[in-house]
Amino acid sequence: MAEARRSWIAEAWPPALTLAALVAALEAAVAAGMTPVTIPAPSAVAAEFADSWGDLLYHLGPSVAATALGFLISASLAALLAGIGAAWRKASGPVMTFGILIDSTPLIAVAPILIVFVGGGMTLHVIVAATACFFPLLVGMSRGFRAVERNADELFHVLAASRWQRLVKLALPSALPYLFSGFKIAAPLAVLGTLIAEWMGAERGVGIMMIYAMFSFDVPQVWMTILAVCLMAIGGYGLFALIERAYLRRTGMEAAPT
Amino acid sequence: MTGIDIRNVTKRFDLDGRSLTALEGIDLSVPEGSFAALIGPSGCGKSTLLRLIADVFAPSEGAIAVGGRPPREARLSHEIGFVFQAATLLPWRTVRENVALPAEIAGVTPRRSAEALIDLVGLHGFENAKPAQLSGGMQQRVAIARALMLEPKVLLMDEPFGALDEITRQRMNVELLRIWRESGTTAVLVTHTISEAVFMADRVHVLSANPGRVTGVVDVDLPRPRDFGLMKTSRFNALENAVRQLLFDEEENGAAKARAHG
Repeated sequence: MAEARRSWIAEAWPPALTLAALVAALEAAVAAGMTPVTIPAPSAVAAEFADSWGDLLYHLGPSVAATALGFLISASLAALLAGIGAAWRKASGPVMTFGILIDSTPLIAVAPILIVFVGGGMTLHVIVAATACFFPLLVGMSRGFRAVERNADELFHVLAASRWQRLVKLALPSALPYLFSGFKIAAPLAVLGTLIAEWMGAERGVGIMMIYAMFSFDVPQVWMTILAVCLMAIGGYGLFALIERAYLRRTGMEAAPT
Repeated sequence: MTGIDIRNVTKRFDLDGRSLTALEGIDLSVPEGSFAALIGPSGCGKSTLLRLIADVFAPSEGAIAVGGRPPREARLSHEIGFVFQAATLLPWRTVRENVALPAEIAGVTPRRSAEALIDLVGLHGFENAKPAQLSGGMQQRVAIARALMLEPKVLLMDEPFGALDEITRQRMNVELLRIWRESGTTAVLVTHTISEAVFMADRVHVLSANPGRVTGVVDVDLPRPRDFGLMKTSRFNALENAVRQLLFDEEENGAAKARAHG
């Protein structure tokens, strides 16, 4: 146990030290007047966090909600389509084509058109977040649903398992490692989708906070919102990475290749 | 009556619109409680035949009876145990959970506990291990215990020890014979090892390839229980040679035919 902790510390200190050195260098560069006005001192951004974390949380709430809801809707739709593709082979081609079509949609151009239909509120944010993270979810689930080994499939046939037993006892556990890798890639994309949508219009949201800060040339606040979005994206990835690790460790399985 | 009766069975597969005959005119019967071996070159359809008995596929022509009933009925009433060449354990389940899977799916409380079966295959103490922690031989023992969970009337094995080394394989064969005697099930073993077929079976059915046909039957009149000493006897060697003859005569005939046509 103690050894595990020591190796964790041994692994963590080089990047931590590098980061600290970079921050210190940036701080010194700003103090020496070597940077453009758009680059604030790290201390100024830290001060901004300390001053306006209440505002930030106020805007963060709806962003997190839109991201989570968009992710959930996208995952449900991806599961449905991947399920159809897995159950009915002829559909798997068109399903992937649809996924690629959605993936290649330039969101930043389409979002203003969407406003015409759904307005600039939460609905828009959720739709754009869902669209942004759809493709990796679809790929992960399609691969997952095909992950059942042929012999395992025959085993369940010989055991006269029902469709439901096959799904719960075989298909879902076989698919999970692939689902996790899809979730990990999709979570930061959903955050990005929410951000883009909030730029187009929002009453509350980190995206609109970022836009206001830009327009008022509040450089530390712009960077604070950028960092907040980064933390959201990392948080989304990290959440699924943690669940995946716990699951794989408990089951003794290996991660799916990404 | 839970013997297996195969009458004039032909199996064709459709491959890209072309019809491929895997098995042709198979006549074969396995008496209740006996041990049969199917041996033949790769591509002779011996695995396919096993899957026809297990109702994984349906025959194109002919009929199969398992205990006097269609294979489908036998399968649905959990009378068939199947062991694959790969252990095919579910990696997220422990040994105990893997062995108990058939009972769980059938929704029955088995007469014999998973623990008792794990003991039977010599894995006492590994009940809570995950498949990834076991060696290939141990995994295959788990697969055999699982196949015996519902006390199947028919135990079908598709080269169950094909992936194991020679030493482990011989040990497993002796154990399998012990387990088979205790369970009293009708057993069919697919193999491509002549000595294994003779050592295990009451009757060896020899198949030829393209298309798969039964070219001969060798009755093994060796006493049971059998042990390694038996392999050194001249009777054992004579039986091995009888199987070898059936296997390679056919092959030479085929080659001669190919030369004549070429």
